[in-house]
Amino acid sequence: MGTLLHANWFMTALFGGMSAVIVASVLLAQRGRAMFIRRIPGLSGIEEAVGRATEMGKPIFFSPGLDGISIVTLQALAILSHIVRLAAERMTRIIVGICDPTVLPVAEESVRETYDSVGRAEAYRPEDVRFISDQQFAYALGSVGLMTREQTATSFYFGLFFAEALILTENGRALGALQVAGCPEPTQIPFFIATCDYVVIGDEYYAASAYLTREPTLTGSLVGQDIVKAVLLALMLAGIVLVSVLGPAAHLGQNFLVDLLAQGR
Amino acid sequence: MLLLYALHRLLGPRGRRWLIALVTFVAGLFYGLEYFYPAKGNPSANFLTKWIEPVSIMFSVIGFFTVGLGVYSLCHVHGRNVARRRPGWHNSLAFFLSMIAMLVFAVWEHYLHLPEPPPAVLPWPKGVYEVLFNGLFAPLQAATFSLLAFYIASAAYRAFRIRSAEAALMMGAAFIVMLGQVPVGMWLTSAIPASGPTAFFRLEKLGEWVMNWLNTPAQRGITFGIAVGAMAMSLRVWLSLERGTFFSEQA
Repeated sequence: MGTLLHANWFMTALFGGMSAVIVASVLLAQRGRAMFIRRIPGLSGIEEAVGRATEMGKPIFFSPGLDGISIVTLQALAILSHIVRLAAERMTRIIVGICDPTVLPVAEESVRETYDSVGRAEAYRPEDVRFISDQQFAYALGSVGLMTREQTATSFYFGLFFAEALILTENGRALGALQVAGCPEPTQIPFFIATCDYVVIGDEYYAASAYLTREPTLTGSLVGQDIVKAVLLALMLAGIVLVSVLGPAAHLGQNFLVDLLAQGR
Repeated sequence: MLLLYALHRLLGPRGRRWLIALVTFVAGLFYGLEYFYPAKGNPSANFLTKWIEPVSIMFSVIGFFTVGLGVYSLCHVHGRNVARRRPGWHNSLAFFLSMIAMLVFAVWEHYLHLPEPPPAVLPWPKGVYEVLFNGLFAPLQAATFSLLAFYIASAAYRAFRIRSAEAALMMGAAFIVMLGQVPVGMWLTSAIPASGPTAFFRLEKLGEWVMNWLNTPAQRGITFGIAVGAMAMSLRVWLSLERGTFFSEQA
């Protein structure tokens, strides 16, 4: 099976249906319907982690990952904004280490605006949002050096990470820092679980902004996501049954679901 | 781009938010339409397909300007360290020396226009570049990567503690998978025939089964959830529904 470079009618209808469910859920939430979100331990640990840094009088380190401006990084910046708000209210310093230079101006603006919004504009230090390196391991070593020199009490890793994840977290652990991580890359999750105190796994990462802000738009979107996942699960089960019973035949009529999804017919 | 920038400066806060929302929507609409609009021919294409590459190049070029911002940020931070003789200022000086050296010799090497194949005795700027890049930078990267082996060992030593039933299960699965990868593990169960119903109990087969039938479906399940979450977030960003986080509170 290959990647569909262009959607067929089934994918268009499926995507349209999924989008409609999410948007409808958002509209329902905006009209005041209460939506339940279960407790996510990794995100609940954020406030505890910021509090620890405040009590110890040491700074916080935040890494938004290696990626440029993408959905993963935008979500990381949304979480950063929340953490900066908590830190600013407690007069705790937060240092942000940037890997991709395209993220730098967005992160600077986000951090500065958050300090402004809580009335702590004077506490914002431009040098605390700094570019380290766009090379993977140079970034990891630069971040480790920063954490070691500044003796950070808490480290947050939210974004796209690869092999350098373990370098960051092992050194953070050696420093005695409380570490919270969230990464949508499944291959790195085991390393974060082994080395961090709190880990946000899988789609909990994209639930973070809804969980932390409890805004109706975001919680509605989250509930819509869950409904879409249930629909996809039903489709998967139907596909499993069809492939098991009919066999993965390539031509139309014998296994139409495989044809639709894999070959665009 | 200049027109958009000028509009952004001229408009008030409310107008700027509408402008940003409009540009975001149009940019997302372009890629979405290119994917979903019916495509014909072989290779399949629609009226937007030929614009994908130029638009992507345009965004890359715009993004490249931020490299200058990154360099400025580094020079600003390290410059202050050197100027104020803060503890560790010699490291910041080393940063400036290495950045300037690499920049000078990389640009110089690029414009040497050496013939193919290159001469036996290389010009000295090329030699310096080779020392800096292949002699220093690449081995340093490789050395850092190799540290991971020791970090994995220390993380595994801490993580693999049998404190509960789940931890014992994880330890058992890890034991089987790791032994199944190495010749010693294959030797341990070499008495079991390689074919037939009992072949499954050979360590390499058991390890393969754990990876393909237990680990892979779990990873795919997580990936599905991540994909749906990414889709929902993309919709929110495209329709400018993301509020109060990295967007302005007032929005």
